[in-house]
Amino acid sequence: MTDQVPAREATDRLRDIQAVTDAALAHLEVEELLDALLDRVREILRADTAAILLLDERSDFLVATAARGIEEEVVQGVRIPMGLGFAGRIAAQKEAVILDHVDHTTVLNPILRDRGIKSMLGVPLLSAGDVLGVLHVGTLRPRVFTPEDVELLQLVADRVALATQSRISDTDRAAAVALQRSLLPGRLPMVAGVDLAARYVPGEAEGVGGDWYDVFALPSGALCIVMGDVVGRGLRAAVVMGRLRSTLRAYAITNDDPADVLSLVDRKLQYFEPGEMATALVVVYDTNEDRLRISTAGHPAPMVAYPDGSTTMLELSIDPPLGVRTARPRRVTELSLPRGATLCLYTDGLVERRTVPFDDRLDMLREAVKIESPQAVCASVMQRLVGADAPADDIALLVVRVAEHRPGAPWNLAVPAMPASLMPLRTALRRWLQDAGASEAAVIDLLVAAGEAASNAVEHAYGPAGGTVSVSAQLEGDQAVVRVSDSGQWREPRGDHRGRGSLIMQMTTDEVRVERGPEGTEVVLRRRMDQ
Amino acid sequence: MNPPGITVTARSDGDTVLIVIEGEIDLSNADHVEGEITAAISNRTMSAAIDLTAVTYVDSIGMRVLFELATRLETAQIGLKLVAPIGSPARRVIEISGLNAVVDIEPHV
Repeated sequence: MTDQVPAREATDRLRDIQAVTDAALAHLEVEELLDALLDRVREILRADTAAILLLDERSDFLVATAARGIEEEVVQGVRIPMGLGFAGRIAAQKEAVILDHVDHTTVLNPILRDRGIKSMLGVPLLSAGDVLGVLHVGTLRPRVFTPEDVELLQLVADRVALATQSRISDTDRAAAVALQRSLLPGRLPMVAGVDLAARYVPGEAEGVGGDWYDVFALPSGALCIVMGDVVGRGLRAAVVMGRLRSTLRAYAITNDDPADVLSLVDRKLQYFEPGEMATALVVVYDTNEDRLRISTAGHPAPMVAYPDGSTTMLELSIDPPLGVRTARPRRVTELSLPRGATLCLYTDGLVERRTVPFDDRLDMLREAVKIESPQAVCASVMQRLVGADAPADDIALLVVRVAEHRPGAPWNLAVPAMPASLMPLRTALRRWLQDAGASEAAVIDLLVAAGEAASNAVEHAYGPAGGTVSVSAQLEGDQAVVRVSDSGQWREPRGDHRGRGSLIMQMTTDEVRVERGPEGTEVVLRRRMDQ
Repeated sequence: MNPPGITVTARSDGDTVLIVIEGEIDLSNADHVEGEITAAISNRTMSAAIDLTAVTYVDSIGMRVLFELATRLETAQIGLKLVAPIGSPARRVIEISGLNAVVDIEPHV
């Protein structure tokens, strides 16, 4: 038996159309709007179920996104391959399909079959000729869908397509912003003797892009500074950027040659993300030797302000961008960076303006980069080169200033209480001691004494949750005073080599004091600097 | 693969083994150093020398490795000699911890 729906008057049709284009729906969030439209369409067409499946472009599957009547579809995440079954056919042909016979040959989704759906009508969701998904309704009793039904359902589909399209681009934009935000370091790392400041401004046209910067200490104690720019915009560029950033970090911790790191990152990019392209600049800054090793993959060279008042763009051997096939090995440029100098890294969004010659923009940047605090340099660069004009392209800016040479000025550093922190900690302390004029023997002794204390804190101060070890150093008369502290619970050292550790601390210093309190433990080491 | 900051290389001419350690020995890599040393010495080895000239940092954790090695090699009747120049960081810590009382220390290879 077929359920006959009586032909309806023109006024009814008009009311039906009104129901699905109602302005009252406009304020609803997309999810609510889809549900509200499905409810109304179910009512008007007297259908038992209504569902929306959206196309997942990456997999070419239609995914159940909203459903009324039989909600399991959505909860179970029903996926229909493009071109197959009822919904797949509608999407592939971009045409309405009416089904008066539901079984496994016509409908892939077992939920619809099991629930006894007898007749179905579905239409494509189209936006500028592209298929976004499918809207379909179904009835438990056999039903003949009329051309008017098809027309009304297509009207609803257009409304759904519009809302979905804007939701997809909103979601993409929000995801790209969230991704970008999560990947740019919120707080730049604390590195002894180095001040850092950074800016990131999304482009006006399409919001965030693939610009990134990164600063981290390498296991050797050197500082790795990265600036990069993925070609393209939006979520895709942000995702590629995120992958490049972690790939670069992964290679950098096992290899501190910047050209090797970029070659490996390039190989990974070309293998796993063929077709993507990015520029990147890697600086490995050895704070002990005041040396920079730089390799650049098509990225603009940094600007440096020197303590003598001059500012110049570094002369680098520039190699091709990442993602470009090349047989030539990547190169490293070695430079010395005097204490007190200011290094400015940026992406091309800062210096490229269609209306102004590139060299003029570089001159403006050269004038803005001075020997000032990095925050002040960032502010004056942005003021000078961006001003009030929202940039079309996104901009990343990173300013690094090497502290001036003030030998013996009080110094401190806090690191995570883990074995890998010990080497960078000693590197920084060794530099401080050498700067402060400690004799060779004093450097050896104080490093071992502080190393023992820090190592002890790493092993014993904290449980598995971990904590921080802080080291400070200052001069008092002809003595250096080094304090190693943790905020953990004192625990008697385990193992016999610990007794040896205490002995080493006593023998290498003039005085060792261990202060244990509820706030943690502090080891104070004093030793003459001159012998 | 060597962990950051440390390189251990071994050269053997059958009877004797020379192990050269370069870099810093601490909590983060002492187990690795110990493993490399033990792997380089076999039961056919007559004597082993460990060159610590290029060790720029070592503390009680490194000393534990060397003390334990000295004990084990003594049991196995394999000779052990350490190389550490006078005034070097390794020499300083070896003398403070008394390792020089159980193992021969020489200023150069």
